[in-house]
Amino acid sequence: MSDRLERSVIAPANPKLNVSRNANLPHSPGIRAGDYIFLSGMGPVDPVTGGRDLGPVAEQIRQTLRNMAHMLESAGSGLDRVVKVMIVLADSADYDEMNQVWREFFPVDPPARTCCALQLSNGNGVEIECIALAGKAA
Amino acid sequence: MALEREIIASNHPVLPVSLAVRGGDFVFLSGMTAVDPVAGSVAHGTVAAETRHILTEMARLLEAAGSSLARVVKVNVLIYSMLEYDNMNTVYREFFTVDPPARTVCGAKLIGGHKIEIDCIALR
Repeated sequence: MSDRLERSVIAPANPKLNVSRNANLPHSPGIRAGDYIFLSGMGPVDPVTGGRDLGPVAEQIRQTLRNMAHMLESAGSGLDRVVKVMIVLADSADYDEMNQVWREFFPVDPPARTCCALQLSNGNGVEIECIALAGKAA
Repeated sequence: MALEREIIASNHPVLPVSLAVRGGDFVFLSGMTAVDPVAGSVAHGTVAAETRHILTEMARLLEAAGSSLARVVKVNVLIYSMLEYDNMNTVYREFFTVDPPARTVCGAKLIGGHKIEIDCIALR
């Protein structure tokens, strides 16, 4: 059907951050669908080694948000185009620290957000996913 | 002009939710567990069996909405224990073979004795 929106896979410019491909997992880093970008849950992956960067949780969150920015910029979008974020912490005690780091990345007009504590994979202290608008702001 | 909101499947057998709602070009599915969508009977089993049950029903629902598994853009998986992550993935791969959707998987306390719950957003 010609009126159907296109669906395409998006991937980070830095191949070290392509976790699903590097670990052979059955998800894509992100999918663009029409005007929206949907990113998979991301963890604190080191952009140089591709390994897990499991330092203090504040630094894990910072690294994950930097990776998210990279992923969005690789697809022609950016953090300023994010509309919705879900942050999953391994420990709800890290909530205040998460908010401090969050403010560094979203100082004005932050996106909508849900945050909760759940069981995470790979020993991650945090996992973050988002929905963003495709393209740059007008 | 406002986008159209269409209830694709309002017939959840147990809960006061719609199974699938279309909003514009997107189709949103409720979290699905190993429950027969018509009879409401529970089909508890292994993580692999529950994953297969859910994704089989998800494909049916999406097709009823004019979509398909190949049009899914985002999946959320909640699993009762992340120790079962690989058991879920083994079955999951069978259903999403090429260019799989974006996905987040977390371990959570699920309701009703279910081992796994999956929702998705798809393009129609």
